[in-house]
Amino acid sequence: MAALKKSFQLKSRDFIHAGEASISVQNMLKQIGIESALIRRVAICAYEGEMNAVMHGENGSFRIEVNTDKIILDISDEGPGIEDIAKAMEKGFSTASEEYREMGFGAGMGLPNMETHSDRLDIESEKGQGTRVVMRFSLSPGSRENKTGQSA
Amino acid sequence: MIGEYVTFQLDKCTGCAHCVKACPTRAIRIRGHKAVHHPDLCIGCGECLRVCPEGVIQSNVESRFPLDKDKTNAAIISPALYSQFPDTMPCDVLRAVKKMGFDHVVDLSFHLEMFQFAVERFIAQNRETRQAPFPLISPICPVVIRLIALKHPTLLDNILPIRRPAVMIADDVRKKLQSIHNITGSEIEIFHITPCPSKALSQEMVLKDEIGSVDRTIGINAVYPEICKHVENIREKELDIYDTDPFANIPNARGPMWSKSGGEINPLRDEGLLAVSGLREVRNCLEKIEMGVFDEMNYIELRVCPQGCLGGPLTAVDRHMAKQTVQKLVRTFGVNRRLPPYKLQRLYDRGWFFANIRPSDFTDYYPDQRRALTIDQMQEIENLVSLLPGVDCGVCGAPDCRTFAEDVVRGRAKRSDCFRLREIDNNKEGNT
Repeated sequence: MAALKKSFQLKSRDFIHAGEASISVQNMLKQIGIESALIRRVAICAYEGEMNAVMHGENGSFRIEVNTDKIILDISDEGPGIEDIAKAMEKGFSTASEEYREMGFGAGMGLPNMETHSDRLDIESEKGQGTRVVMRFSLSPGSRENKTGQSA
Repeated sequence: MIGEYVTFQLDKCTGCAHCVKACPTRAIRIRGHKAVHHPDLCIGCGECLRVCPEGVIQSNVESRFPLDKDKTNAAIISPALYSQFPDTMPCDVLRAVKKMGFDHVVDLSFHLEMFQFAVERFIAQNRETRQAPFPLISPICPVVIRLIALKHPTLLDNILPIRRPAVMIADDVRKKLQSIHNITGSEIEIFHITPCPSKALSQEMVLKDEIGSVDRTIGINAVYPEICKHVENIREKELDIYDTDPFANIPNARGPMWSKSGGEINPLRDEGLLAVSGLREVRNCLEKIEMGVFDEMNYIELRVCPQGCLGGPLTAVDRHMAKQTVQKLVRTFGVNRRLPPYKLQRLYDRGWFFANIRPSDFTDYYPDQRRALTIDQMQEIENLVSLLPGVDCGVCGAPDCRTFAEDVVRGRAKRSDCFRLREIDNNKEGNT
């Protein structure tokens, strides 16, 4: 079965390059003709996830897999972990430092946004053990806009 | 036709590939030591014009303009023109253009104010209800609209559905001239004097209801020498255009300011505004809008030229000088509102400001949008990229290794065009 896999290393606190993995994922999905609304959802989730790993984590990794029926985003890091996942899922809850808030982050909407925009969100985390966020998006037959395979 | 904004005079082309590297949509390749342009990917930004050392690439905006004396000729002045003359009053610039032989000169400043009114109203009406997607994107820069249609179609609905001032005015001028001179529309020729190479095709300017609004476009650089000559000769008000010309509004600094990055949003009464200029910054910004970074913003002004329209490829003077001139004009004249809001509100309520065609109708404007790759092809590209040198040397004729890999997979280039792949493939053959 056709599957497209790509992975990126994320550097902790590297704000110059933060977001590039998400942009590259976005461009890739556009090229294979994924429906715009779905690309937008994946892009939002990818960016939130990537920024979280860059801001809070160490040795982050960002993987995407595209199958004929689903897209999986798998973002993990070896950072401080999330103490209380249920609490972290609340809108407006954030552990971002004052510095990050000044940069415009830390509105406490990251995880809730990811939950809203993905079809399924799984978080594995333990305090001090890092965090792994896996988001799934199902690809219905219509979500490739009948554009597949017509190479010019 | 899509994308015919520039012409390549290939006899002078040395195949240096400057344009290939500069093109933001990767629409140019070198084949057989000459540039090959793919108009179906061209957004008319003019980056290639700026970098070509041989002058091979020409804008299709006209540089010569014999006026047809049998017609009534009107010139719409891009606000950027005022920024080109540091020691001249905007009204004298209008006089000078009139001396070139135009029957009417048209200043945009009232229509800019009207447009800005409509932006404020549209934000106010839709912000709470969220009926329109936010952040709204300015419809002013035609290159931005095409960049969105080509690269960010998810954002087409964010484009503000208000007609651009030059279009509002072109329609107005044609109607008024018909009744003043008692002539038909075809006896009028409307020119647009512009810094923008992407306005070469008045038929395809941005939104389709602009068709026919402007007949001919001329680059500022083409008329600059002649305007300079006339400007020097205007000592007194020997030619009082305001008595004879209904469109030569007395310009304030709203127009000049408009041509500078931020000049569109600065006069607006709103908090959530951003202005971004320069191709690189604009592309970056569009990517971020798509990722939801600017969801809290109301309206974003995007101009692909550095410093805004006064940095357009068809301007005549240095853009930093032009910016300085604008600042001087703003200090002198200010940007006061001059139109009664209740009248504008009436027009707004009647739907007068709104474009008939939604930008989202441009989804399939670029045929490349319809040529999606399969997942297997995409994986093939990834595999190929891992074999390539990754230094983007450009010897193969593509701007970078990834684009070359795409070309190979799409059947537009041969593996052997890359020296590294040629080496790998030769070794394989040698081993078998």
